[in-house]
Amino acid sequence: MKAPTPNRREVLAGAGAFVLGFWLPPRAAHAQTAAAHGAAWYSEPAVPEINAWIVVEPDDTVVIRIAQTELGQGVWTSNAMMVAEELQCDWSKVRPIYASANRDAREQAPAWTLQVPGNGATDPNGGGEPTFGNRARTGGFGIPDSLYRRMRTNAASSVKDGRYYLQLAGAEARERLMLAAANEWAVPVDELVAKDSVITHAKSRRTTTYGKVAARAARTPHPNPEAIALKPPEMWTLMGTEQKNLDIPMKVTGETKYAIDVRVPGMKWAAVKSCPVYGGDVKSFDFEAIRAKPGVRGVHQFPIPDPALTRGRVFSGGVAVIADSWYQAKTALDAMPVEWTVPPERAAFTTENMRAALKQALDEPGRVRVNQGDVDAAFANAKRVVEATYYTPYLPRARMEPGNATVLVTDDRVDIWIGDQSPQETRFSAAQITGIAEENVYLHLCHLGGGFGRNGNGPQAEQAIMIANANRGTPIHLLWTREEDFIGTTYRAMGMARLKAALDDDGWPLALEVRTSMQEDGFGPDASFDVTSRYYVPSYRFSNHTTKFHVPVGTRRGVGQAAHEFYRESFIDELAHAAGKDPYRYRRELIARTELPFKADMIKALDMAAEMAGWGTPLPRGKARAIALEERGVETGGSATISAMVHTVSVSRDGRVKLERVDVAHESGFGLVNPLSVKKQIEGQITWFYNDAMHQACNIENGAIAENNFNRFSLSRIDEDPLEINIEFFPTNHWLVGMGHDRGTSVQAAIADAIFQVTGKRFRELPLRQHDASWS
Amino acid sequence: MALTLNVNGTAHSVDVDPQTPLLWVVRDTLGLTGTKFSCGIAQCGACTLHVDGAPVRSCSFPVSLAVGKAVKTIEGVSTDGSHPIQRAWKELDAPQCGYCQSGMIMSALALLERNPNPSDADIDTAVTNACRCSSYHRVRKAIHLAADLMKERRA
Repeated sequence: MKAPTPNRREVLAGAGAFVLGFWLPPRAAHAQTAAAHGAAWYSEPAVPEINAWIVVEPDDTVVIRIAQTELGQGVWTSNAMMVAEELQCDWSKVRPIYASANRDAREQAPAWTLQVPGNGATDPNGGGEPTFGNRARTGGFGIPDSLYRRMRTNAASSVKDGRYYLQLAGAEARERLMLAAANEWAVPVDELVAKDSVITHAKSRRTTTYGKVAARAARTPHPNPEAIALKPPEMWTLMGTEQKNLDIPMKVTGETKYAIDVRVPGMKWAAVKSCPVYGGDVKSFDFEAIRAKPGVRGVHQFPIPDPALTRGRVFSGGVAVIADSWYQAKTALDAMPVEWTVPPERAAFTTENMRAALKQALDEPGRVRVNQGDVDAAFANAKRVVEATYYTPYLPRARMEPGNATVLVTDDRVDIWIGDQSPQETRFSAAQITGIAEENVYLHLCHLGGGFGRNGNGPQAEQAIMIANANRGTPIHLLWTREEDFIGTTYRAMGMARLKAALDDDGWPLALEVRTSMQEDGFGPDASFDVTSRYYVPSYRFSNHTTKFHVPVGTRRGVGQAAHEFYRESFIDELAHAAGKDPYRYRRELIARTELPFKADMIKALDMAAEMAGWGTPLPRGKARAIALEERGVETGGSATISAMVHTVSVSRDGRVKLERVDVAHESGFGLVNPLSVKKQIEGQITWFYNDAMHQACNIENGAIAENNFNRFSLSRIDEDPLEINIEFFPTNHWLVGMGHDRGTSVQAAIADAIFQVTGKRFRELPLRQHDASWS
Repeated sequence: MALTLNVNGTAHSVDVDPQTPLLWVVRDTLGLTGTKFSCGIAQCGACTLHVDGAPVRSCSFPVSLAVGKAVKTIEGVSTDGSHPIQRAWKELDAPQCGYCQSGMIMSALALLERNPNPSDADIDTAVTNACRCSSYHRVRKAIHLAADLMKERRA
């Protein structure tokens, strides 16, 4: 029997047999969460908090609530370090837990947190103001004024956006703990010293601990928290030191609970198939064909998730089979006949016709973003013109943990167990789908098995909420297959760029024209080229040329900037070679000629990386070094992140490319909180962009993503990891934009240039493995 | 159909379809969630565990083939993180998100148990697990450190 209409729904067999969804007071809800996770690590403390971020237990354990999601970037540790630096507690007794997104819906942020991190905040060293990369739930820029302020984990901004209010949270609690001790001893508070959770009154030779005065501190408000001064970097003792990540011990025993590991009593599993062509929907399915299969409990068709809940992106409609175990649900779903309704104009998309559209867009006028000097005149008079067109494909995040969420909806409450980079938005989605107020939505946050770009962009939560809302009273654990994860993710837009330069007799550029094309909703269309050229040129024009495609694009590690740095740095290499000049010195000179605010820092990065790598020393035939600059924000003079890397690459005669060694010069800005995490992230991003350069592409066939599992979509393994990575930091005095998503982009242009140096072949289309790099 | 499985030294009777991949029996029937699902087609190695000491991609390994054999999961390495390989991983701060690390550790452990002093080339050949965060650089160092720590323990 075919399902006659959409919206057909099977009632769960046995639904309501176990009703867990009675309202629980917060304490009981936490106990339920702890039971579900089965790990003390996640349990809420039983004593009163000092403030919303900090609880000190009688044994001096300091519980620090983290409002960002740990996805491998080390935010549990770095956020805790910012709090603990000011709290002056014993770091060995710090225990992070997730902050409550439910409280965040119910409570406003303390007034003292609102004043400090605003745009008027400058650092005590005169390093300028941070520019906040955050957005409110409604899409406007800014940090929400709800309790935990920014709960998003995105844009490499956790340290920068949270720093002032997290430091202040630590300082406010420290002052209140000291005030409590002073009150107890009836001595002036300024005679006390606090260090490593011990408060000392030297005059009377008395000491106490945070744990002993915490209950009193919890009842002792601070008279003037706005006046508390924060420590500048030269006073830091914890921030700026290399600290191992606090959650690593649980990651080597298998004890860490990711969302996929959540088990709730009475839980059923949902396996999902959604239309592989975005914007498509279910035409029919035949549940009767599988109804009798083992464990099968029901079926639920869901529509295309409301684009208003997925930041305007149109995913697909689909169908879920619900069963006692996920394997049963998945095997039954595989056996269930499903037919799709696919909009023909969407099914007509292929990589080839999309590429042709992007190429055609490059020939059209486009939207001119920058126009300096007289580009047309310079080209009209030019004796020498260099032109190149580059291409980068669609790229997914492909995090290792497939999308999943567990949702329990009852008449007046929603519980969601999820690893989520944007819990405030998921809370909003839950309220919109169920009609239950955000104040009654409880998110139980879990570590994420990789993120790489705000996984809340995808509809995993929305699908799970829709399925659970149709099966109220039963917790539903939705888990995507890997293939489904490739449908539910958002992609970095495929793109093309045409760069054209007029050179003078000495090979220096007189004019540069940059045209970039990507679909109109692609992220970062202006990155790396906006406002002015990073490399000096008297006449400069930059234009965007957009198309309309159906693939949902979004924030993927590096966004458009990563592609743009491949275009820009590749082209500078091409110009240097055309000019017969050394690519390092060519870059250095062209930056020195600019008026860019951070040009000295960029030059420092290039010089340092070149020195570290032994730039210019001889290499055997088949090996080459290439250098490239990585920058974000140098055009504005506010926040920026600057690094340069030299990549040493070998190319065998039969064309095998090996990244041998990477030398990294990275600025430290206005303080790195945990340099160990920064190093790990740099190591990770080198491989991330190595994969973009060498291996990865998602092609479109008949409107659908073709490479949808790791047999067709390549991920490098340890054998391709460079044996030598050297990372050094150099001091600078401005806010970093963040360094979690656009470092290591240089590896793309560098490998392409190294191949050119060895083979004489210039490849301008990624991934490079499609090209023949053999030589003789 | 009831099957008897020996997992981490304990015998379990499980009533599952014999074709069910060992991964799902370990995770869902036995509740040992340290072993992870990622690709489902034996490509990435997140689901790696040991069957009679050999690394196996359990997402594509029918449970029936494990009957009568010793299955070891990450939970069987040590629950307190005291095994030398876990100590080495902690010392180097090797994991990032950590999702692939159970499988990574099980592959590396299988290598170290048959080759106490692996070269970089041995590691390249034996540890073919995918890590999207790229913990590779620290994992390689951790394998060498684990080899040293395991030798110390034997000495």
